Amino acid sequence: MAYPTATMDIIGLWLGWLLMLMIYTYPLYKENVTYRFAEHLFIGITLAISAITNLSNIMRMCVTPLMQGNILMIVPLVLGLMIFTMLIPEYRWVSRYPIAVMVGAGFGLGIRGTIKPNLQDAIIDSITAPSGGALIDWFNYLWVAVGLICSILYFLLTYEHTGPLKAPTRIGRLFLMIALGGYFGNTVLFRFTMLTGRAQFFLQVLKLIPM
Amino acid sequence: MSLGKLADIDRRVFYWILFVALMVPFLSPIGFPITIAPNTQDLYDGITGDEVNEGDVWIVNFGYGVSAWSECHPAVTVCTKALFREGAKIIFTGIHVDLELTYNKLRDTCSEDFADKVYGEDYVFLGYMTGGESVVAQLASNIKSVYPADHFGTPYDDIPMLEGVVDHSDIAGVLSSDTGDYGGHFMTQWQGAYGSKVAEIGIAMNGSTDLPRWQAGNFFGVSVGSRGGAELELLIGELGEATTAMDSISVSHLLLILAIIIGNIGVLTEKLGGKK
Repeated sequence: MAYPTATMDIIGLWLGWLLMLMIYTYPLYKENVTYRFAEHLFIGITLAISAITNLSNIMRMCVTPLMQGNILMIVPLVLGLMIFTMLIPEYRWVSRYPIAVMVGAGFGLGIRGTIKPNLQDAIIDSITAPSGGALIDWFNYLWVAVGLICSILYFLLTYEHTGPLKAPTRIGRLFLMIALGGYFGNTVLFRFTMLTGRAQFFLQVLKLIPM
Repeated sequence: MSLGKLADIDRRVFYWILFVALMVPFLSPIGFPITIAPNTQDLYDGITGDEVNEGDVWIVNFGYGVSAWSECHPAVTVCTKALFREGAKIIFTGIHVDLELTYNKLRDTCSEDFADKVYGEDYVFLGYMTGGESVVAQLASNIKSVYPADHFGTPYDDIPMLEGVVDHSDIAGVLSSDTGDYGGHFMTQWQGAYGSKVAEIGIAMNGSTDLPRWQAGNFFGVSVGSRGGAELELLIGELGEATTAMDSISVSHLLLILAIIIGNIGVLTEKLGGKK
């Protein structure tokens, strides 16, 4: 990808660079008018693009086929319109029907595909002993087994976590905390990678590194 | 300055140090070594060699927006190059409203590979879809019902490469690149339901979700974040954006560890010193 040469592209590039800096004034300095301007502009443009894209999508997938004679397309259109009754308190109950359809379809589809990959395969993978003899594989296998059993026991809420249940539920809680810490750490590092992308963009616009 | 004051350092100081420090490796690369993870190797092996036949139709789903380009795009670039070089045809789809920007960037980053390909015959950009797991399930049973036309308005039936492409059975494999969980939707609705080949190009945050799915055999491969992209660039032998960014990412991680250590020293010193 080369540095743009067309005037409009160069303007766009520098505008992006400037808006990025305006946003970064918030963490690097404090909340200020330039930050708020960039933030509002971003939200406004995002919402506008999102509205247009989704409206075009409805036209493409539903309205156009309906106009071409696919009469069944009136069903999703009407269901979609029924959602808007949520805005009128006395007719709010009407909106429950499309929501019920969506939830029902979601559950149906979810159950159809979930059992094999999310349950069956995951359980088989967890209880299958490693085929190789490497020590680390066996350590991982036992680590996962202990973590899995203890974490599940932690959610055993029909018995008080005392007596023989005390130790495994404590261990289960530790495993959960480690897992949540891992998730949080990954989240932070993902944001850092995004920041790295912006740092690269910052230098590219200034032509300090190639684009 | 006493050690206890370390915990009171203004966080903006850390942000400034971070922002400046991230730029240094771009100006003066360090060259930290990169090793290939088995999940990345599996992904690469699954889209090259005997795994791909000439004329196979693959789906590449853009499940990420502009903000995640640094995480997902390098890996998508390599996968697109690899599939094109094996003679595969590609259907591009997406779930973000800014997906046209991503598609255009891909055409830039793979410009040499796109140059000898013909739109409509070797690849097609079907565009935006919405509806979460439902639309992915519908895509598996009837692609045309989700996309009556491509992104530019050409009717599905008028696109030569889509002739005979009806449902999941006509698709050789799916590469879903995500900030969310469309990879998971493809896993449940394509791999779980029909046994289709599915791989995930995810952000680092999703690594802990995606890797067990790869270990269980639901994904034939997984690329995790920029690191996965850098590994793929190494595998295809063309170093690119991810490799360049890896030094900077490593520096950011080291800085974070340093900040945690400094903060903890500060807090511990305060506590041991009896300061409230």
